[in-house]
Amino acid sequence: MHNIFGGLAQGVIYSLVALSLVIIWQSTHVLNFAQGAMAMLATYIGMTQIDRGIGYWWCLVISVVVGMVFGGVTERVLIRPLYGKPEINPIVVMVGFLGVIEAVATAIWTSTTRNIAAPFSQVFFQSHGNLVYLSPFIIFQVILAVVIMLLVAALFRFTKLGLQLRASALAPEVARLLGVRVNRMLTIGWILSAGVGAIAAVILASGSFGLFPTDMDGVFVAGFIAAAVGGLESPIGAIAGGLLIGLAEQFILAYWSPNVAPLGGIIILVVALMIRPQGIFTRTVGRRV
Amino acid sequence: MNWLGSLRKQETTHARFICVLGLTILALVVTIILPPVADSQLASGAAITIVILGLSWLIGWSGQISLGNSGFMAVGAYAAGIWAHHHATTPLVFTLLLATVAGAFSGLVVGIPSTRLRGPYLAGMTLAFAAAITPLAQNFTSMTGGEGGLFFNTLTTPKWFLHQFGGINAAINANAQWSADLAVVIAGVMFFFMANLFHSRSGRAMRLVRDNDVAAELMGINLPRTRTLAFVVAAAFAGLGGALFTLLNATVTPETFPLTLSITLLTLMVLGGIGTLSGAVIGGIIYSFSPNLVSYVNSLTGVNPSSNLGANMQGIIFGSLLILTMLFAPRGIAGVGLKIKHSLQSRRKLESVENVN
Repeated sequence: MHNIFGGLAQGVIYSLVALSLVIIWQSTHVLNFAQGAMAMLATYIGMTQIDRGIGYWWCLVISVVVGMVFGGVTERVLIRPLYGKPEINPIVVMVGFLGVIEAVATAIWTSTTRNIAAPFSQVFFQSHGNLVYLSPFIIFQVILAVVIMLLVAALFRFTKLGLQLRASALAPEVARLLGVRVNRMLTIGWILSAGVGAIAAVILASGSFGLFPTDMDGVFVAGFIAAAVGGLESPIGAIAGGLLIGLAEQFILAYWSPNVAPLGGIIILVVALMIRPQGIFTRTVGRRV
Repeated sequence: MNWLGSLRKQETTHARFICVLGLTILALVVTIILPPVADSQLASGAAITIVILGLSWLIGWSGQISLGNSGFMAVGAYAAGIWAHHHATTPLVFTLLLATVAGAFSGLVVGIPSTRLRGPYLAGMTLAFAAAITPLAQNFTSMTGGEGGLFFNTLTTPKWFLHQFGGINAAINANAQWSADLAVVIAGVMFFFMANLFHSRSGRAMRLVRDNDVAAELMGINLPRTRTLAFVVAAAFAGLGGALFTLLNATVTPETFPLTLSITLLTLMVLGGIGTLSGAVIGGIIYSFSPNLVSYVNSLTGVNPSSNLGANMQGIIFGSLLILTMLFAPRGIAGVGLKIKHSLQSRRKLESVENVN
């Protein structure tokens, strides 16, 4: 039971990161290698406001807003000039951005771990004297993640903006002819994605893991694996993949060694891609030659 | 510099050999002039050059993006380190060969599933590999020494070389220069090997696969085998480079190969010029003297080098350089050199045409 709740708690973080990667991938076909680092920076900027006496919830809001602004600016400045270039160019640029962000964060806040007081207790519940390995914080974490996922799903499914976003991802030329401002949609995609990523980073930092400049590295890798298992196209696949990786990691952690856990993710990825290279949750699409 | 990158097909192996020999001898002369500190920097740079050669081959010529070359380096380094730790007297060539084979094997393991992946999937998968390899080193403590790492001392300066030096710091000077010379010679050999590989049948097949895989398949090129081969060669180079790097430092720990090293390698390769031989050498030279560059920038901006910002200056500079190069000169220094050369050539041609008229 310990592993299931722990895995679920970790899994929703991976799911959120995977979801944020999928949103960007759908809108601009870029895999954002700096996604984790951008969210980390937003968390630092937002959550260190606690020092000034601002409450946890306001800090969470600040983190998300900062993250969103950051995402939009990044798309405008770094990604926009690269549309139509070989696919290696945006990858290399975002890898460079990752390096810059982590170096800047280390320069400002040092590499020591900061603990952020969680808004809910992290002490496990007890039932008849036995631990159930479920804490109020884990419940909060899962509920927040589910709410965010539902909000994103509702936005894409039921609003005019969501329709425009989907249209410009699916057929940019047609969407443009029908009056959708496709470039603006791409920026909005990045803004949304960065917001979701920032929430994942805040949840991670509020838990026992703490906040440090490279704290999102492993989470990004796991989130990428989750998104890739789902096929990078499918939000549902990303969420399911995240939960799968989170649970698998907890079981490896419990029964083998924490150092082998990253390898477990790769094995899942390789096996999944061997079975269905295009991802488990995507429709098969022919590659144009 | 770019004449090395643009060796044409009809130029023979012989010509290539002369070029590389000349460059290596030049580098050896430089090691005599440089002070010991710069010599050991140059030695590390030569080791990194070998890694970048492999990376440039993989990304530039086969078109497969890898962020995992620090992982391949770690495999080679640990293979060499574990061996050297127990058998300090083994000839260096054998230890390095062992590391190269270990690296190549890891390339095979990563390369085979990777033939089905492309672009960002591949980049992410190799990044995951690099991220998984260092925790693994921490796991098998009895073999790898865990967090503390391994220590060994295999690079002993031969007596005849030592005798050339006099004075108080004879041993220090001799050691620094010997390791630099050794690294330069090994890098020269690998450069020659890669130069030939670039222009071999496999090299041309590789480029065709990169540019148009359907056409390549129609020509009878086995795509999975070619793609895997690219990984194996790149990983063998990275393994050798990583092994040389650790033998020079006489120690290997999990911290030697952080994820940021992959970023550094990518920066150096892009800065030098993707897919060019001369670019790899330029990248290696930049790596050698990056500490000087960083302290220069620190002094220029008045940042205290021991402050937090000063300590992270390298990451900031390298990351920014990577972004700026990719945005404004994606073909790197070698590419810019080539462009200047071409524009000069075409102008000269134009002039001669005008003279005729």
